[in-house]
Amino acid sequence: MNDDPEQLDRHVEDLLQDRRPERTPLPDEDALGARQTAAMLRAAKPGAGLPSKEFLERMQGSIHEWVGQRSAQPQPASRPSRRSLLLTGAAGIAAGVAAMLGIQQATKTQPKKVAQRALVETNGTWKPVKALAELPEGTPIAFRSGAIEGFLIRQGEEVKGLSAICTHMACILNYSKFRDRFECPCHGATFEKDGQPTNYGSPLSPLPPLQVKVEKGQVQVFTV
Amino acid sequence: MREDERTSAAVASSGKIVPLPRADAPHGQDHLTWAYQTHVTAIYQYIYGRVGNRPDAEDLTAQVFVKAINGMRSDVSVPELRSWLYRVAQTTLADHWREYYAEGAGELEDDVTQAPAPRENPEAVQRVDSLLATLPESYRRVLELRFLRGYSVRETAQELNLSETNVKVLQFRALNRAGRERGRRS
Repeated sequence: MNDDPEQLDRHVEDLLQDRRPERTPLPDEDALGARQTAAMLRAAKPGAGLPSKEFLERMQGSIHEWVGQRSAQPQPASRPSRRSLLLTGAAGIAAGVAAMLGIQQATKTQPKKVAQRALVETNGTWKPVKALAELPEGTPIAFRSGAIEGFLIRQGEEVKGLSAICTHMACILNYSKFRDRFECPCHGATFEKDGQPTNYGSPLSPLPPLQVKVEKGQVQVFTV
Repeated sequence: MREDERTSAAVASSGKIVPLPRADAPHGQDHLTWAYQTHVTAIYQYIYGRVGNRPDAEDLTAQVFVKAINGMRSDVSVPELRSWLYRVAQTTLADHWREYYAEGAGELEDDVTQAPAPRENPEAVQRVDSLLATLPESYRRVLELRFLRGYSVRETAQELNLSETNVKVLQFRALNRAGRERGRRS
């Protein structure tokens, strides 16, 4: 399939009409670059890019709800990895964060967090993520590197890696210890610990496995 | 930094994490809700500038806030929260392009390892101007008419004295050229 002027113009028309463009696989980076440029130009039109009043109102309500849910969740140090991993990934965040996390985790040395996206990469490297000894048997532990999110699941001396990106709309999954499954905070999709989708109305792909190996007690993930 | 001092004080005095009182806003959960709410428009505009249509911008903005709220502790300061939101927005956008258009597309987007630029929107028009300035006159013209003035293909054809097919070809070449130009500059 090649990109062509007609196809690109349909995309442009969609943007100009503020419609969601059709999602198609693109042949090359030029085709993607053309669409990203079109988006940027579209947004530069005077008056473009302001959220609608309806959307703003909806978001105000949703945020109130989400913050409430978040606060209602117990946030003990029993599962510090998720939050701290997310935070550690955000290198730009003020040093104060590190200080706070330092207290929370002073007794458990956190290793460097390195991870990868749920794709088999061809030109990457193995990066140490955690010590095997730190992984509990059978309980998924989240990790992150850059834009890449995953879970590690220890089975004896073996460790399995799974993408933590929901295959529905690419939100980051949470692991629920209580229900022993992965749950999507955005639209409620759930996945078994082997990555199989369980409840969603439309069929979803299973979570892709990551390439993981254990060397000298260190868990390594293949990442770019 | 003020924030750091406050943080240290809280940690030193109690030995555990406590939400820090703030003088300039309501406390607790309401403050947090308010802090997120005040960023909706900015994040929407940031995302709109990169996807260029309302439905995608709305979906992605909602995703950013869900992820950000779930991923951040609740005693966050406003500057931390702002830079965290932009970072989540960047990864969400990278995922969006990768997921729906092409694998590896994240490379073309902003580098997520760099600190985000918090005030993006005043720059949007400037970015476009400087990009258009690098293009040949005919390319610049077709993009200006189509995007900045919102001309239809037919109107653009009349204005430029071209057939509609030629306008689409010119637009195709102009966008591809501009896309490569963007890639080089970023």
